[in-house]
Amino acid sequence: MLSLVRKRLLQLVIVVFILSIFTFGLMKLAPGDPVMSILNADEMMVTEANQANLRSDLGFDQPVYVQYGKWMHGLLKLDLGTSYMSGKPVWNEMMERLPITLQLTTGVLLVMFSISLPLGIISARYPRKWPDQISRILALIGASIPSFWLGLMLIYLFALKLQILPSNGMGSFAQMILPTFTLGFSLAAVYSRLIRAGLIECFSKDYIQAGRARGVKEWRILWVHAFRAALLPVITVFGLSMGSLLGGAVVIEILFSWPGLGSMAVDAIFNRDYPVIQGYVLLTGVFVVVVNLLVDLSYYLIDPRIKQGKEGSN
Amino acid sequence: MKKNSLLALLICLFIFAASGCSTENSNSDSEREKMSEKNKKVTMIFSFKTANLDPHTSFIPIRAGITETLLKLNDDSNIEGWLAEKWGTLDNTTWEFIIRDNVTFQDGDKLDAAGVKASIERSIAVNESLGESLKIQSIEADGQNLTITTTGPYPALPSELLNPYTSIVNTAAELEMGQEEFRDSPVGTGPFIVKKFTSNQEVQVVKNGSYWAGEPKINEATIKFNEDANVRALAFQAKEADVVYNLPAEGIEAIEKDKELKVESVPGLRSHFILFNQQSSKVADVKVREALNLLINRKSIADDIMLGHAIPANGPFNSNLPFGSDDAVKKLDVNKAKLLLGEAGYKENADGKMEKEGKALKLELITYNARPELPLIAQLFQSDCAKAGVEIIIKTVENADAHLVANKDWDMSTYSNNTSPRGDGSYFLNTAFTETGALNVGGINLPEMNEVIKELNKTSDLDTRIQLTKDAATIIDKEVLHSYAVYPNIIVGVNDRIIDWVPTAEEYYILTHTMDVK
Repeated sequence: MLSLVRKRLLQLVIVVFILSIFTFGLMKLAPGDPVMSILNADEMMVTEANQANLRSDLGFDQPVYVQYGKWMHGLLKLDLGTSYMSGKPVWNEMMERLPITLQLTTGVLLVMFSISLPLGIISARYPRKWPDQISRILALIGASIPSFWLGLMLIYLFALKLQILPSNGMGSFAQMILPTFTLGFSLAAVYSRLIRAGLIECFSKDYIQAGRARGVKEWRILWVHAFRAALLPVITVFGLSMGSLLGGAVVIEILFSWPGLGSMAVDAIFNRDYPVIQGYVLLTGVFVVVVNLLVDLSYYLIDPRIKQGKEGSN
Repeated sequence: MKKNSLLALLICLFIFAASGCSTENSNSDSEREKMSEKNKKVTMIFSFKTANLDPHTSFIPIRAGITETLLKLNDDSNIEGWLAEKWGTLDNTTWEFIIRDNVTFQDGDKLDAAGVKASIERSIAVNESLGESLKIQSIEADGQNLTITTTGPYPALPSELLNPYTSIVNTAAELEMGQEEFRDSPVGTGPFIVKKFTSNQEVQVVKNGSYWAGEPKINEATIKFNEDANVRALAFQAKEADVVYNLPAEGIEAIEKDKELKVESVPGLRSHFILFNQQSSKVADVKVREALNLLINRKSIADDIMLGHAIPANGPFNSNLPFGSDDAVKKLDVNKAKLLLGEAGYKENADGKMEKEGKALKLELITYNARPELPLIAQLFQSDCAKAGVEIIIKTVENADAHLVANKDWDMSTYSNNTSPRGDGSYFLNTAFTETGALNVGGINLPEMNEVIKELNKTSDLDTRIQLTKDAATIIDKEVLHSYAVYPNIIVGVNDRIIDWVPTAEEYYILTHTMDVK
């Protein structure tokens, strides 16, 4: 297990390095730079000379590899630079946004599991019966509805018609319900089907049949034997979902005024705020690698066969 | 057993849902109570957010009534004194300002000329482009007398000093608080003091009881930021906010059914237009540009695309402004456009397309989605051009400014600018029509126009400035340097409980000390 951690940490460095070169190169290939936004050309009298001076001050007139080298030099000193638009250090900017994204992610996961677990289990226990059909329809609806539309419909229903929930904003429990449900419901659709498929497969395995024949209680078969094995594919997909959730759910953040990492990244891309884009890509890159490492490590806990296989090969 | 597990799961689900609902109910009840209390609190939603409240890089502090400038625009879009009681100049280079004697900052410090000097110096240091706009060589302070010397004759200085970026702040407070804290809680002279600011989310303000122009009528205000127009409209209908900026035109009908809500549609200072690339040989002939100018259906854009919340344009500046054009709005005229194209050497071919030397007139029109109405204007223009035998290829780009600067092969672009942000046309004329102007992406360089702008830049007499601005608009119209389509309105939702307040065109002075609630 330790060797896996060591290997993954090494991979992390390589992934982050490649990501940084890739993003930096792509950004420089994209037309435009942040100069017009910084100078507020839409409101202020700006000349070509002002633009040229600022470009020179920001080092945009230097070759791309020099600009990249400077950025990398800063990174080695754990300095991600300063946002061109807000004037704040990129690290501070991201740490301001991260708790918001984490709060949203936690809520979404809670909603997702609260819906998908019961739905998946009921569907697996009664395949092709009415609970399964209902679950299938709900899953289809959840997977087909775009989250921005669902969000708007929920606001219309709960904020405008019923007037029991606030339409947007954050800070209170009530303000968490609509955004987390909007995103959690879509994810739950996928997960409930995954749980169902995993459980149905496990229920057909010989050891489950044998357990039942020996009179092992049904809840024990479900929670101790079948559910554990059915979790493997769920956790694999979960790793991927976590990456995108932590990267920020842009549409939901904008809809419900949750200024998390996603909306920060979109603003940075529109304004060509290079240091923020680079910082964001690094942070999400680290998230994805670490979450996937945790997912891999969880296999050891969930499925003893993996642990035994590894130890055997060692 | 099976039944028991199922029952247990259903109970779990119910408890989860019920716990959510019960909290929701109690919460929303209390929120409704708050809303129904006539407690002199106001909630607003703006579409424009801010990462910090530094008055020298963000407009929100002036909009939220936290800061003020030396001069301001009055209801007729004329400049009047605000923190400066009087001002004047003899030579357009040395400017004297008398600062009001009865003004204190929100922390109790008295405002004097030295404080104003320090604040202006800070604004130039913090804001990258302010120095170029102000052209200040030196500032001297003596008691309440402030003397500003510009680098040369600069009659536009008063107009630039009402720019929100020149807001007057107490720089001594920044030294005490530190820059980080000051940027989230600036100390100005306005009727409202920052209570709490959450970056990109909301700012809460409380009244400044010792405000120099009179005690503010409301006690507290919360200004929220939300970028989604539909959510803003729903929040307004749900009465979660009293004032909501930039409502979507298509949602107004539903809003107006509620008698407690009204919608104000105020003529704005922005223009939507089509600009021509002066380097393109296809639109180099003024006859072609004149023809294209007649193929813009301004009435349909205002009525059908903007749903009546826009005024058809007759020049760069809103016709309601003192320096707006008096000319009639050009109507869609396909036949005349064809005649003009004929004068430019084009003939209609068998397919009904206009061609010259065997080549059909095919133009590339750039547009962008940041302003959703612009691609629609492009489509309507494309359809009307087709009636005159002109083929328009629409190309949608993400960043129009960057595309137009980096590429030289485009012919036209839809564009939108605030053409008179500070009650004066010189900003737009200087940035969009002079050779070095940042917004002159079409490469316009017309000696006749340059002369008028040069003259305007050294003229201080208001009537002469108005005339020169109108002269410039006449040249733009004659040479069809741009084709102006509409002036979009600012659509603001106002709850009936708000009194003594109307939204204004410049969108600077939003939360005021006179705003009250029933």
